[in-house]
Amino acid sequence: MSVTIKLFSSLREALGVSEIEFDLGELDGAPLEADVAAIKAALSKRGADWQEALNQPNLVHALNHKVVYLEATVSEGDELAFFPPMTGG
Amino acid sequence: MSVALQAEAIDVAAEYSALVGHAPGAAVATFTGYVRGESEGRAVASLELEHYPEMALRVLEELGQQAEARFQLSRWRIVHRFGQLGLAETIVWVGAVADHRGEAISACEFMMDTLKTDAPFWKREQGPDGGDWVGSREIDSRRRARWRLEG
Repeated sequence: MSVTIKLFSSLREALGVSEIEFDLGELDGAPLEADVAAIKAALSKRGADWQEALNQPNLVHALNHKVVYLEATVSEGDELAFFPPMTGG
Repeated sequence: MSVALQAEAIDVAAEYSALVGHAPGAAVATFTGYVRGESEGRAVASLELEHYPEMALRVLEELGQQAEARFQLSRWRIVHRFGQLGLAETIVWVGAVADHRGEAISACEFMMDTLKTDAPFWKREQGPDGGDWVGSREIDSRRRARWRLEG
């Protein structure tokens, strides 16, 4: 089991991918859960484009379809999305 | 009392009729948003609206329920489009039915001000000089914040 990572708008465009699976086993100690910040930090190491995309100001994170802070706990099977500020309406 | 996410144009007359039904409340207010021809001085030929379907549905359903409780609505409806939109096409439609005009009008404003910053949609404008993602605007955040302060 892993965490589904979804990317939207300019992040999806910059990274050329809309969805990936992230195995929590990639993190130090292979924990069963981790906070958003730890997953964001691990993904940021995938390359300069990931580093830039995930560390832009005003990045929004949503866990299971709800906006959360970086401290929110992510477990296996969860869906974690990263995107820029929303501009609907 | 429902939300629709759709690719096709919004049939405003049909939405209005369905909202009002056979027994209109004393006060009905609606808002319709259209694709504008310019944005911050640049010409806009068309608009692409990306969305996060599952989250958009959840956020808009919760928003309608919040509006219902806050403004004592008897009925409400939120319709938002996604995909490719041409100039002057409909983007969004909200409607609210209440006992008094103040509640109905405020409910529409609350729903619009909130969905602009809280519902996962992203606009990409296409103009003669190419396409560009629309940035968030300070005015939208301020309008959203008003509702937090007041209630």
